[in-house]
Amino acid sequence: MLDDLANSVISGDANRAAEAAKNALTGGVDPLNAITNGLNRGMKQVGEDFSKLKVYLPEVMMAAEAMKAALAILEPAALKKDSTSIKKSKVVIATIAGDIHDIGKNIVSLLMRANGFEIYDLGRDVPIDAMISKAMDVNAEIIAASTLLSTSMPYMEDMIALLKERGLRGKFIIMVGGGPVTKEWATSIGADGYGDDGDEAVKVAYELLQRVKPN
Amino acid sequence: MNSIWEVIDKAETGQYMEERDFDLNVVAKLCRDLVKEYGIKFDPAQIITSDDSMVDNVFEAGLRLALEAGIFCIDTKRIIRFDERDLREGTSSAPTSLIIGQGKDSRILYARGVEDERDPIICGGQAGAAIPEEWYLPMALSFMKEPLVDMINNGGLAVVEGRKVKTNTPLEIQATRRELRMLREAADRAGRPGIHLLAGESSVSALGDLAIASDKYMRTSDAHLVALLNELKTDNQRISKVVNFTEYGAHNVTLVDPIIGGYAGGPEGVAVCFIASFLLGRVMYGSEYHVIHPIHFRYMSTSAVECMWNLNIVGQAMSRNAPYILMGDVWTSAGAGSEMVFYEIAANTITNVVTGSHPLGCSATNGKYPHASGLETRFMAEVALETARSGLKRENANEMVVKLASLYKDRQAKPDIGKPFPELYDMARVVPKPEWNATYLKMKREIAEMTGLDL
Repeated sequence: MLDDLANSVISGDANRAAEAAKNALTGGVDPLNAITNGLNRGMKQVGEDFSKLKVYLPEVMMAAEAMKAALAILEPAALKKDSTSIKKSKVVIATIAGDIHDIGKNIVSLLMRANGFEIYDLGRDVPIDAMISKAMDVNAEIIAASTLLSTSMPYMEDMIALLKERGLRGKFIIMVGGGPVTKEWATSIGADGYGDDGDEAVKVAYELLQRVKPN
Repeated sequence: MNSIWEVIDKAETGQYMEERDFDLNVVAKLCRDLVKEYGIKFDPAQIITSDDSMVDNVFEAGLRLALEAGIFCIDTKRIIRFDERDLREGTSSAPTSLIIGQGKDSRILYARGVEDERDPIICGGQAGAAIPEEWYLPMALSFMKEPLVDMINNGGLAVVEGRKVKTNTPLEIQATRRELRMLREAADRAGRPGIHLLAGESSVSALGDLAIASDKYMRTSDAHLVALLNELKTDNQRISKVVNFTEYGAHNVTLVDPIIGGYAGGPEGVAVCFIASFLLGRVMYGSEYHVIHPIHFRYMSTSAVECMWNLNIVGQAMSRNAPYILMGDVWTSAGAGSEMVFYEIAANTITNVVTGSHPLGCSATNGKYPHASGLETRFMAEVALETARSGLKRENANEMVVKLASLYKDRQAKPDIGKPFPELYDMARVVPKPEWNATYLKMKREIAEMTGLDL
């Protein structure tokens, strides 16, 4: 049954994933086990395949849809059993103001979701105050900003300045990335982390959650 | 062919669709289905293919994609569609040669053929990472001073008068005008006042374009880039740029940069998407020439094997079926000052020149640092000219490119980014420093021996 769940995600079949989730519950599989060793395992495999260009962005998006369909069935059951059983770190992510390039951000967003983060993807050309407001609303741990344009990079710096001005800088881990963004530049503007690509973004997010405790 | 008025109308009245449906159910699905139907296969051992039937299949698949998908307008969520007659008219009316620049500095830019032995037009400049204001002029001068460089495509400014340039702000106007002033000054100082500029890179929005439509900044003998957004999309900012330049009378140029690993799929789907983009770009934007820039999902460089395969097959497919004037980007993972950059430039340039495009480079370090100079662009020009003049055939070119790529492909994720321009050039005289010149001479010798090209 766990293999069914994993394979339904890998094949990106939302109907099959929902069916596999129902079967798991009626078959007596622990819902948390079904999520961790079924769905998450499948999504992790999709992420790895994408990194090797064995599958492409549409397949990753379909896999995420399948996972969402199954989670809609398994999560309420897991929470009913143990309300503390599912604790996901929340990430507000967006392509920052002035930039409409969102494919890189979509890749990072999907890979983070695949790795167990709760993602609030605000889309593209998102004003910095909208990103901060959303992060406040959902009590996010991480704000992740992306851009492909050097002329949108200053908005990342503005966001950190605004957080400081509002006394909110310590509340969030700030991650930045995108085509022209470098690790040195991320450090220079006072961001907490930088990812060169989606895989690195996931790794850095995990590390930062251990190292930097938002307060 | 459609006028820009019809494009504006279609953007307001075309079929309504959610963007996600367009991405997944139209572009992704069609690319996947067409690649399968036409049997298109990427082969890393055939970076330059001699399989004409696969080349033609890529074109046919791309034409089908253009007809069935159309272009999605992000602002209105409507699809701008063209029928086969529109696309055929776009192709038959596309210029196969074009006078660019002015006076003694003018050149004839033309649609290259496969294995074309004519000298390619060399476009020099670093169009990737934003360039610091204090280096902008000398760096531009380093390209203008290279006699083999025929036209210029230099990048944008990160800072103007101490202020960071931000999209959709007045600083885009200031930066774009400053960029053009410095390019003009560099051209004058190099004694090439009429050199063709493909410029206005400091402005992402239409603000900068509107601000430079004047002889003082950009002449009607110059050109600007109008991107097709990923994948098969446009927006009102892009259409505004076209409206402005169409009426002003300067050249519109389509920039197409689909992502390998993105909505179009792998290298094969991206090739199909390229063809559709060029056909649609021509009728949407009235573009007179076009830039090929495949993007690997990990790198911005075009020297990745999958990207060069795209440059090869797209160049050949267009050349054989719709001879547009194509500029093939030469973007490296390494930077100026490194040895690695020369392997990448050689492989990328040979690929472009043999398969139907003119080389446009060199932009460095996956677009992260402006580590570039006129010297490695001289090398690009030397490779390009010798490739054409020696009558290099695709089979032999492929052997060279596969060999060159084997020397850098595993280092592209962590490349040698080289050095900033002021560390490579004497900033007062604007000439390469001895150490950088010695690296150039050493690598030129090594690559000449390796490839047999008389560099």
